[in-house]
Amino acid sequence: MNTKTFLLAGLAVALVIAAMAPFIASSNPDGLESAFFGIFGAKEIQGSEINEEHAEAAEEEIAAITGNDFSFESPFPDYSIEGLSKFGEAAAIIIGTVLVLGIAFGLSRIMARPE
Amino acid sequence: MHIPDAFIPLPQAAVYWIIALIFIALSLRWARKEMRDDKIPLVAVLAAGIFAIQAINVPIPWGTSGHMMGAALAAIVLGSPFAAVFVLTLVLIVQGVLFGDGGLTVMGANIINMGVIGGFVGFYSYRGLSPLFKNVYPAAFIAGWLSLFIAALVCAVEMAIAGTFPLELGLFSMGLYHAVIGVIEGGITAVAIYLIHTARPDIMAEPSGMVSS
Repeated sequence: MNTKTFLLAGLAVALVIAAMAPFIASSNPDGLESAFFGIFGAKEIQGSEINEEHAEAAEEEIAAITGNDFSFESPFPDYSIEGLSKFGEAAAIIIGTVLVLGIAFGLSRIMARPE
Repeated sequence: MHIPDAFIPLPQAAVYWIIALIFIALSLRWARKEMRDDKIPLVAVLAAGIFAIQAINVPIPWGTSGHMMGAALAAIVLGSPFAAVFVLTLVLIVQGVLFGDGGLTVMGANIINMGVIGGFVGFYSYRGLSPLFKNVYPAAFIAGWLSLFIAALVCAVEMAIAGTFPLELGLFSMGLYHAVIGVIEGGITAVAIYLIHTARPDIMAEPSGMVSS
């Protein structure tokens, strides 16, 4: 496989994964969130039911404990585009994938030494 | 395991940022010294692929989910733990700034856990285990598993220092979930290395003689 084909195949795989992600990804809390909910009583550590009320209270409680109440409105919160459904999420993740590709390419270009 | 802002007090978050910046500087030095022109497209495609795969949360038991981190893969394919720091830092910046995935004040901690710990544990366990197995695929699987598992334990210790989790319960729950999520990390790392090696045996940084075909 020549270099160009190899890289295009790699990019195609990345974009297919990006497009599929919102449709196949689980919306369960990730490991860290789940541990957090478990420790703060919004969920059993080895159970799967989340008490939404307790979960929200836990999020307020933790900011009070650490004193870090920094908040920031990102343009695509949780990989979503306002007003768009799952297809918006797919678009957001594709945008992110292409952006990471561009930044990684650009920065590597600046840093790398020539052959 | 993207830590949100509220989980770490600002002074501690600043310390993690300083440590992360040292490793980012070292990763840029790696890029300047070791990255050759012909590796640029591979670095870019790996970064894009890692960003995309991180969007796929796989369900695990206990109402939880997890996704691949990709640090072990980047370090193994590019031949340096600093390559993982380089790639994961870019991914984490885009995730945090554009998508609110992982906090900004605590991004240093996320770079340490996923880039530095993930990259170093993944790279050196792969190096150590490959000759042991005389085959890179089991080594890649275990390296991927360990990279995620150890990063999760370090994260639990940071949470304990922050006063967010009690140490024992934090280590237990983070360890439990990530022992399972690590299987995803190890599996995809091994499969990706197999695919890359099959398509282009010359492109891997590791001596390909170690790969059993």
